[in-house]
Amino acid sequence: MIWFVSPRCVAVLTGLSPDGSERLQIFFKGPRWEVVCNLPSRGREKQGMFETEPMQNDPSSIAPFDGFGLGLRRTHMDDFLAPFVNGSAPVPVDFVEVISENYMVEGGRQLRLLEEVRARHPVILHGVSMSVGSAGGLDADHLARLKALADRIEPLWVSDHLCWTRTSAHNSHDLLPLPLTRDALDVVCANVDHAQETLGRAMLIENPSSYLTFPEDEMSEWEFLSEMARRTGCYLLLDVNNIYVSSQNHGFATADYLAGLPLDRVRQIHLAGHDPATPERPVIIDTHDRAVADPVWAFFAQAMAAIEQPVAVMIERDANIPPLSELLAELDQARAYSSAPVAA
Amino acid sequence: MSLLAQQEAFLAAILDDEAPLPPGWGKRHQLGMQVYRGNYRSAQMDALADTYTRTAAYVGADAFRQASINHAIARPPSHWTIDAAGEGFAQTCAQLFGGNPEAEELAWLEWVMLELGSAPDCTPLSPEEFAATSAGFGDAEWMGLRLTFQPRAVARIVAHDLTALWQAGGEAAAHRFEGPQGCIAWREGERPTFKLVSAGAAEVFNAMALGAAYADAITILAGDAPSPEAIQQAATAAGAMLGDWLSEGLITALGA
Repeated sequence: MIWFVSPRCVAVLTGLSPDGSERLQIFFKGPRWEVVCNLPSRGREKQGMFETEPMQNDPSSIAPFDGFGLGLRRTHMDDFLAPFVNGSAPVPVDFVEVISENYMVEGGRQLRLLEEVRARHPVILHGVSMSVGSAGGLDADHLARLKALADRIEPLWVSDHLCWTRTSAHNSHDLLPLPLTRDALDVVCANVDHAQETLGRAMLIENPSSYLTFPEDEMSEWEFLSEMARRTGCYLLLDVNNIYVSSQNHGFATADYLAGLPLDRVRQIHLAGHDPATPERPVIIDTHDRAVADPVWAFFAQAMAAIEQPVAVMIERDANIPPLSELLAELDQARAYSSAPVAA
Repeated sequence: MSLLAQQEAFLAAILDDEAPLPPGWGKRHQLGMQVYRGNYRSAQMDALADTYTRTAAYVGADAFRQASINHAIARPPSHWTIDAAGEGFAQTCAQLFGGNPEAEELAWLEWVMLELGSAPDCTPLSPEEFAATSAGFGDAEWMGLRLTFQPRAVARIVAHDLTALWQAGGEAAAHRFEGPQGCIAWREGERPTFKLVSAGAAEVFNAMALGAAYADAITILAGDAPSPEAIQQAATAAGAMLGDWLSEGLITALGA
């Protein structure tokens, strides 16, 4: 486990003690890297004394980004490229987010178009197939292609989900739930560490929506996310619709979820629509096929009031995609809710 | 149960409705599992429908849906991209629609066109560059000439008028040729494209893509025990093919 405290300071968790217990070594870079102190691993709780302000070019930190954006879908690609073609005004968004896997290809038109969009807008690479919860580890080909894309596009950041999607044999292409156990946490942290080290940058991990929980769960999802962020140094992508969906499916309070997270690690918020429960199907489903629901807007306003630093807010729509103007109007709603007073 | 074993069991339960759920799971878990099963199936169906719009139009919605289900069961996806779920669908069509072999040909073409769309970008060798390079060729250089084609360019033998089927979006009757024809698919700039050619041209393309020399191409076109006239005609035909491939941007380099 390695923490990049700053470009000149690295903390490494190693097994150095005669009894084999873990120790924390602090390296500072002078003329060469030097160990300046060894601490018992429990000294990690004191690592705050080494923390510095996020520095530019520090791959371990992601500076807050203030803005409102959209998930860029192929349906709207022409709208985003029109300014290049006819000189019209750029689409009024502060950033766009794309599904990483759609562009993890070797060449072709889509990749070039993304580069053109990138010339005008900051781009976030949002993945759906990293599978950080897979007990078998990450897919080397997926990770290598993601790194190549990130190096090419130079995104604001790279994100994926707290979930697993595959075994060594098959891929579900769905965001499957993890048991919230210490064993699963160890797997997730190892995989996030691996991804961040390979990509050479910190990631954002998004909370999923889920439709079942496991009897062996040992902690809440917010505790799981908090510990993951603490151990790996990753940041959080807060999907407020997912929190709402899971809260309704599993019976917890969204306020508890919010209060239990290290909100200073949040860099982005997702908003999306869901399919309500019915008498025949008493499960809410995260569908991204309709407008954001009122209770989600209300929870979004609470989240924005609770988060102190700027965040990137965006609306996801993956099915029944309306004209761009409709999504931009919904994004205006997000702007309004983000500054709306919240009842205590 | 380890996390690894748990995930294998969970995914097996998604793939197979009959697979047992873990001990202790109640109705609430079954409801959740139904959502994951539904998501898995709809992702498969949607991916195949996106890739094979023309094949779907040709065979009809019900037949396509059944083919998609068969394909998902026979070839559950293993790749990280959902686009790969469509790999091998032409073979699925061949098994299901044996009486309509044009469905397999159309599905093959839709797959290779999808693959070409994301193929590595390349710079074609221009006719002028080729002319300059080959200006000093003697017979030995010509006969030993090998070509490198653009990535994922592909050819095969077909029996039906795929051009008409493609242009009609799959919503046309398939015309069967009297004899075998060839089909070459490649990318013009960023645009995947294809054309029907002679069966011999497709055979020569595939042979040269695998490293055959220009002399081998002439031999293939001349047929068995050729007469001097046949060899001359084959050389002329090979030259015409070379000219076509150069003008269409199929060749990226000389030499394997």
